[in-house]
Amino acid sequence: MTDTGFLAGVRREIRRMASRKMYIFGMVAVPVLMAVFFLSLLKPGLPLKVPTAVVDLDHSSMSRTVTRSLNALELIDISRKLESYDEALAGIRRGEIYGFFVIPDNFEKDALGGRTPTLEYYTNLTYFVPGTLSFKGFKTVAVSTAGSVVRASLVSLGVDPEQVGAMLQPIAIDNHPIGNPWLSYAIYLCPSFTFATFALMIMLMTVFSITMEIKNGTSVGWLATAKGRITVAVSSKLLTHTVVWFSIGLFISWLLWGWSHFPVNGSLGWLLAAVALLILACQAFGLFIASVVPNPRLAFSLTALFGILTFSFTGFSFPVQSMYGFLAVFSWLSPVRYFFMIYINEGLNGYPLFYSRMWYVALMLFPVVACSLLWRLKKACERPVYVP
Amino acid sequence: MNLFRSFRRWSTDMGRVFRNEWSLVLGDVGVILFFFILPLAYPIVYTLIYNPEVVEKMPVAIVDNCRSAESREFAFKADACPAIKVYSFPADMAEARSQMAAGDIFGIIEIPSSYARDLATGQQTHIQFYAEMSLLLRYRSFLSALTDLQMELVGEQTAEKIEGHGLGSLAVSGMPVKSHSNFLGDTEQGFASFVIPGIVILILQQSMILGINMICGTSRERRRRNGGIDPKAVNGVSASATVWGKTLCYLVCYIPVTLYILRFIPEIFNLPHYGSPADYLLFIFPMLLASAFLGQTLNYFMKERESAFIIIVFTSVVFLFLSGLTWPRYAMSPLWLALGDLVPGVWGVEGFIRINSNAASLAETATAFKAMWILAAVYMLSAFWVTAYIDAREKRRATEHAVETDKIATH
Repeated sequence: MTDTGFLAGVRREIRRMASRKMYIFGMVAVPVLMAVFFLSLLKPGLPLKVPTAVVDLDHSSMSRTVTRSLNALELIDISRKLESYDEALAGIRRGEIYGFFVIPDNFEKDALGGRTPTLEYYTNLTYFVPGTLSFKGFKTVAVSTAGSVVRASLVSLGVDPEQVGAMLQPIAIDNHPIGNPWLSYAIYLCPSFTFATFALMIMLMTVFSITMEIKNGTSVGWLATAKGRITVAVSSKLLTHTVVWFSIGLFISWLLWGWSHFPVNGSLGWLLAAVALLILACQAFGLFIASVVPNPRLAFSLTALFGILTFSFTGFSFPVQSMYGFLAVFSWLSPVRYFFMIYINEGLNGYPLFYSRMWYVALMLFPVVACSLLWRLKKACERPVYVP
Repeated sequence: MNLFRSFRRWSTDMGRVFRNEWSLVLGDVGVILFFFILPLAYPIVYTLIYNPEVVEKMPVAIVDNCRSAESREFAFKADACPAIKVYSFPADMAEARSQMAAGDIFGIIEIPSSYARDLATGQQTHIQFYAEMSLLLRYRSFLSALTDLQMELVGEQTAEKIEGHGLGSLAVSGMPVKSHSNFLGDTEQGFASFVIPGIVILILQQSMILGINMICGTSRERRRRNGGIDPKAVNGVSASATVWGKTLCYLVCYIPVTLYILRFIPEIFNLPHYGSPADYLLFIFPMLLASAFLGQTLNYFMKERESAFIIIVFTSVVFLFLSGLTWPRYAMSPLWLALGDLVPGVWGVEGFIRINSNAASLAETATAFKAMWILAAVYMLSAFWVTAYIDAREKRRATEHAVETDKIATH
């Protein structure tokens, strides 16, 4: 076996990585701390007990019953009792409550007298999650209050109480949220955001390690170690990183799917294979950018600007299918999108591998595309120019 | 008199730093990108991403085990919901599941075989809905559409039944108690309307901090090449004059940017904009000030020009979460709450959203306003210290380096 300079390149890269704290920071500290951050922040799963208020203008036994049923919900915390609509609205504006429930004046009298009073409830949707949770809580109580009045009237008229339920609710819809029956935000957000941050750091650090060679003029030595062959130079550098990235990737995977017991309904092996492919694809992405623009400023700017937008393009929170076409296209340029699709299939839904085959292929295409531009990077490495 | 003279001297120094910083900002394409182009472009890009606002026409499959006129009516009405589009009628659940796995549909509605009979005999009938859970937004849209659909069908059925029992008065109005839901702030329940007012504030803070740290990293590289002194900086002035001179420059840069982002972006895209400009512009001032000082505090970590990208960029994600936009702050643990309290943008997001979307006044956002002033004061002091520290450290390193080279030369 002839010496290609690969091992020398690996040794050189290990020395470089050890000589700068930035590598430890970007490759180990940030990815791990971000995983811990998301896991710890979203640990409760659902932000229950939304601070809300009840405005009881009636002060009757019926209005107190309504207040009690509001109190019984775990979705909202109705601890504040306010005396007017204005007071409640001011509470919303001060950010003390996210919604309030108004029981009108003469509620009991009107309800029993057939004058159909209206229960009004207000939710502040500027904060989506607490807004929708309090909406759900209010709606449940409003509907069940109406139901209990009818139930009482019907039973008093001699209708069989057992039949009343079916009469009031002839059609029930049973919901089955597949893979996340708790509607947990941790399960929903942690894997996608953790790996998206991981991907961002891989892209940035790849750009960092390549363009710094050019900036500091060490790229000539880098090529010389690889005996002038750019493929050897790039592979010895990036594959050394791959080993570190994959160890970190495994650790993050263990945090999510081992320690936190997030659902893996498909195969863990294929999920980990996707982690490996994601790492390679993101390194390829960084390599590609660094080859197109070997200038550190431009390469970093492009990677950072795109990397941050990835969090939106990949459709973690707003579906790609609903985006405008010219923007949805960008989602397919991001390795994270394909990883997300694989995670949904393998982790959450447990579908057979068949349905994810194209996403694996897509992730494998990134390195192929990046390699096609190595000649450009070679030119830049031979004559390093630094433009700040 | 002496105090007056030293103040005059301090302000001349500060003026010189201010003027000099301008040439540094405008002479650096990278900084221009962060200070001007990014805040101009990103709000537009983000709003365009989320501008469709609501999720519509989500494909579902209906497994109709009943195949009656009633079940067809249900399917027909489901298809009429804006959120739902009936994609197919698979013969059984297995077929529906494979369609879901292929990504063609995001939900399966299963109508029981007893549907029509249950309705006729007054039994409660159960429709099963299976949702694909990759996105909670989709699930929530499905849920609210189906609940409305259920209410509509139930209303018809119940009115008929109740009338049959001779409760005519109830049948007319349907229910003895009505309820009415009101949405505040984001009245259209749109996604862009919800997320953009928060994101733009973080864009202001993060773009400023990135730009500031890029300037600092570049300056430190120049120092290392020039014996510990940056020839392009104003040297020999106090750290406080340097920090204030720079800060004023950054603030001036951000006046047009802030006006554009807070005043015009919501109007151009018809996002909620109920607040008074006087309120939110006054409100955001301490945030800009605190961000400028925080940026100069973070200078501590900037060894070179490109450090900012690795150290700052990912924090945007952290701050987005700490701001409570996705996960509300009341549900955070004390640790994350405290960390968020240290970020000017977290207070900025909270206050601006309330002013902009809930029409709160400056007085009603007093807590956030005060907090940002306190942060500005604290970060001002830390920025003084960091500026003085970097100056001393780079000079010391340069002399050590010079001594080393001397030694080598004499040997």
